[in-house]
Order: sequence, then C-alpha cells, then structure tokens
Amino acid sequence: MARKYELVYVVSPDATDAQITDLHSQVEAIAQRLNGQIEKTDNWGRRKLAYEIGPHKEGTYVLEVINGGGELMKEIDRRLKVTDLIIRHTIVRVDEEQSVVERTRSKRTDMSRRRRVARGLPPDRQPGEGQRGDVDDDRDDRFDMNEGLER
Amino acid sequence: MNGKRSFGGGGRGKTGAQGQQGKDGQRRPMFRRRKVCKFCADKIDDINYKDTKLLMPFVPERAKILPRRISGTCAMHQRKLRTAIMRARQLALIPYTAE
Repeated sequence: MARKYELVYVVSPDATDAQITDLHSQVEAIAQRLNGQIEKTDNWGRRKLAYEIGPHKEGTYVLEVINGGGELMKEIDRRLKVTDLIIRHTIVRVDEEQSVVERTRSKRTDMSRRRRVARGLPPDRQPGEGQRGDVDDDRDDRFDMNEGLER
Repeated sequence: MNGKRSFGGGGRGKTGAQGQQGKDGQRRPMFRRRKVCKFCADKIDDINYKDTKLLMPFVPERAKILPRRISGTCAMHQRKLRTAIMRARQLALIPYTAE
C-alpha cells in the first residue's frame, strides 16, 4: 500500500520565486522518477522564524504532500540536505495517523447518532439545540468551596 | 483551616483516596477549578505540528512545554502534543527557548 508523507522545507529568504518553483519541480522530478506523485503543494509564503538559523531570520515555507515509498523519501531527504538554499526540512509520515483520526472521528459520530436515536431524537444535532458551554461550567463543582459548608 | 490537605499534591491518586475518607477529606480551603483536557473537551483528534495557533498556548513565555499537572491535558493528548511541539520546533515555527 502506498504511504503518504508530508514534506515541509524552509527556503532561504534570499531565494527568488523562480528558484522556489525550481526546487518544487526538482522534488516533483524525483517523485516521478521513483514512481510517487505529489498530492498537494502549499506555499505558506515568507514567515518569521521562531529562532535564528545561521544568518537567517525569515524563511519561505513550502509544504508538499507526497504519495510514495520510503526509498523515494530517502532520496528526497538526501537531495534536500545538500541543497544550500534550503535551511530546514522535515519529512513526516502521515497516512497511519490520518486513518486513526478518521476512525475515531467516525466512531464518535456513530456513537452520538446511536445515542440520540435511542433517546428518540433525530440522529443529527438540530441548529440552535443545546448550549453546552453554560452547562459544562455548572457541573464543575467538585472542588467548590461550598462543599465544606453543607455539613 | 484544613491547611494540611491543600498542598498535598494534586496527584490523581489522591482523588481515589479522598472518596474513601468521606466528607472531611474533601473539604478544601479554596476554590479550585477542575481541569479538563482541552483536546478531549473540544474533540480535537488531530494535534498537528503545522497548527501553531493550537500549540502556542502550551508553550508559555519560556517556551517550555506546559506540564500536564498545570494544563490538565490527558496523558494521550499530552503525548501527541509533545511530538507536535517538537516537530514544530524543528521547523522554527515554535521557539526552543526564549531569552
């Protein structure tokens, strides 16, 4: 089964737009060569770095979501390491985590629907139904100071 | 009044013991809000390293990760939070330290 990775790299602020698109096409070329494909790219634009990396205080962030194998990511990692324009990059495998998140989410909606049906309500929450925020705070009296006064 | 109990450590084991002690043990001199895991309460399943807005409240001034005993985050979510913060730090989205 194909794996899904997220690649984020920080390009030096001196880089021109042409250089950034060039880097993107380089990554794409490697992906194609090792039969993967790029699912999504997202340029976050120039952002201030939380700390200085060498001489840099700013950087352009680019996110790529890539479908492909581990060998492909290894190759991309190697290439990005030797590219001077890139000041930081990370690769994270996301497919497993995403499936877990989806599963818990669907489980939760299923549960709430079943409960609502059991209570004789329509399965989906109606607009304007139940303001949870207020109720939550009222219940929160476990450590209330009034507790001692009851006796 | 009951000064002994107030700083007995807000550990989780204590709550069980309190139940057995009955009413006396539960008396607290000051109001303390029950802490709730933010991620459980808001039903946030996915703690993502790219979402700095979500992570920032958990790294106060000194940029250290806020401990569980203060934030009230549950163990599972604190673990996920930690990996997310560490990834975000690597990409300079969140500082490691602050002067």
